Order: sequence, then C-alpha cells, then structure tokens
Amino acid sequence: MSELVKIVEKKPIPSGATMLYGLPDVGLVGLIATSYLISELNLEEIAYMDSDLLPPVVVLHEGLPHAPLRIYGNKNFIAVISELAIPAPALHTVMRTLVDWGQTKKVKMMVSMGGIPIENRQVITEPQVYGAASTKELLDVLSKKGLSILKEGYMVGPQALTMRYCAEKKISAIGLLAQSFYNYPDPEAAATVLKELSKITEIKIDVSKLLEKGEEIRLKARDIMKRTQQEMNKMKKSQEYDLPLYV
Amino acid sequence: MYERRRKRSIFDLMSEYMEEFEALADELMESFAERPSWNIESCCLEPLCNVFVTPKEVVITADLPNTEHETLKVEALSEDLIEITAKMKRKMRFDDFGITHREGEFSSLRCQPRIPVPVDTKRMKISFKHGILEIRFPRKRGYEIKVE
Repeated sequence: MSELVKIVEKKPIPSGATMLYGLPDVGLVGLIATSYLISELNLEEIAYMDSDLLPPVVVLHEGLPHAPLRIYGNKNFIAVISELAIPAPALHTVMRTLVDWGQTKKVKMMVSMGGIPIENRQVITEPQVYGAASTKELLDVLSKKGLSILKEGYMVGPQALTMRYCAEKKISAIGLLAQSFYNYPDPEAAATVLKELSKITEIKIDVSKLLEKGEEIRLKARDIMKRTQQEMNKMKKSQEYDLPLYV
Repeated sequence: MYERRRKRSIFDLMSEYMEEFEALADELMESFAERPSWNIESCCLEPLCNVFVTPKEVVITADLPNTEHETLKVEALSEDLIEITAKMKRKMRFDDFGITHREGEFSSLRCQPRIPVPVDTKRMKISFKHGILEIRFPRKRGYEIKVE
C-alpha cells in the first residue's frame, strides 16, 4: 500500500466479499447507485481513506466528522464511496491503494458502476447498460446475463484504473456502465445499473425509492457534480468520445 | 548547449505558452465555480448549465429538476447573455439539504449563461425534456472566403 494513502479500518473487514466502487464520475451514476445500495442494505462504515493527496475536507454527518472517502460493508459486500471529487493527480494512487487493499481482503470480485456519456440522453427513457470485464470468462458471464459488451473504445477515470489494476493482479473485475448525462446527475441511469447489478450478484434491490427521489437527488448533487466535472476535464474524460485506431 | 537551444525552439515556446494558457484557463474556470450554488436574497438555486459551440449553433442546456414546464422563462438580457428561470414545484429549504446552520428558502432555479460567439437570439429554439432545457441558437455567419 502506498505511504501517501492509507486505509484505516474501523471494524473487522469481511473476507471474500464483492467490492463495489461508487466514485464521482460521469453523471455521478456510480456514486448515486452505491450510496443508495448502502442505505438499502443498511451497510455500516467499516473503513475510510486517509491521504495527504486529498483536499483538506471533512464531512459532517449528525455533527460528527467523517472522511469523504469511506468504505461500507457487511459480510457479502464492501462498498466504496467518495463525497468528494477525487483530484485527477491523486487518482492513480487512490485507485491502486483501493485495489491492493481489496486484494488483501480476498475480495471475490470488484464491480465498478458508472456511466457512458451520450449526447442525446434526455430523449432516452430506458438507458442501456454496457458491461466490461477484466477476463474473457467474465465477459462471457456478462453476455449470458444479457448485457451488451463494451467491445472497443476508451475508458477514462476511476473505472478505467480499477479495470487495469485488477487485470494486472488477476482479480475478477467488471464494469457496469449505463448511458447517462455527462455532467448532470443521473439517478435514472444509476437505477438501471443497480437493476443489472441485481441480476449479476443476485441481490434484490428495489430501485423505486431512488426513482421517486430522482429530482431531489439532482438538485442536491449539483455541487459535487460541478467539482467532479472540473476533475473530469483535468483527466481528459472526454477521450471516451474518441474513436480508437485499430489498423 | 544543443539541448538548451532545442528546448527553446519556436515549437517548444508555443507548447509552453499553450500549457500555461490552459492552466490559467483552468484556474479561471475554477475561480468562477467558487461561489455558492444558491442565493438567499433572490430565493434561487443555481442549476447546472452547459454551453456548447458547434460550427452552426450554440447549444445551451440546463438541468432543471423539480420545475414545471409552464413556469420556465428564457430571456435575452443582452446580445451575449441570457437568463433562464423556472419555479420549483416544491420549495426547498436548507433543512432539506441537511443544513441546519443556515436559514433560507428556495423557490426558483436561475442561471445566466453567457453566449461566447455572436448568435441570432430571435431564432432560438427551445425544448424541455426529462427536466433538461435545451436552447439552440443559430450562429451569425460572417463572410465567405472564396477559394481560388
């Protein structure tokens, strides 16, 4: 684990769990989905990240200070969320540390939830979810579950690094990416991703409350979306629109 | 010596200049963002808003959740500035955001995006779908350069 970043464990960490990532990114899809899941499954805070690479921010909840990047869990799931847009220069170290830590906890699989920006999102009522995976076998599993596969193209940001480090370390990893707004919070896309997660992990997730609260979430998420956009610009997130060169 | 000369070639200077310019532009953009996304005096929340410039159009979008289509107003304040306002279906207070150390109620969403290039504001087209406002302005054409 990098010395610049450390994960402080507050409670015993389960072994063999599925590790979910919900870090601020396109449309805040992963963050909204994971936060909702934490609340629905009543996961408790088991660890947090401490790092000088992150801005000097503490989040107050019920009057008590919390680290912005926290890890929740129960015996089956470990969920990582950040209430802070992760600064682009810190992203490699943060993601490497999380993947390394997950490996020490012998996680069964890592799942990144996120969005794929599309320009005409407002005319789409049911966003499509695409899957990505660290191995051919996992891609086959996703296909069998009926997911379309993200075959070619670029991934940029937290999910790209999770995928890269997991592939290097031969850790099973998948990405579930819903068509979404680029820089507007997208609770509907988050709900769609959760439906797919539910098929893959066989947990029951009722997304009706998330959809009901959609408008409120969009208003509440304005500030973190704005700051996330600044970091996405720095990490050249728009490269996801690029067409790759295969000769 | 050769190394030093090569580093200061015109291309290096241009590249350094562009990097400095980009960093300054980023800083400037960030400093614009460093203001609250709410205004207690006007009871307004500032919605997220984006401006895109294409070869033929300027497209402005704004995320306007919790608003009614009928209350939406788009006004051209000047040639390069518009104001978007919409009343909220349900008023929100700081309490609704979990904030108890401030007081205030918000009843509208309002933003004033700037139009970066000349457009024809009279020919703007507006649509509102899924709580997303989209305004399209045709760009004013300059003059055509003849290819000989």
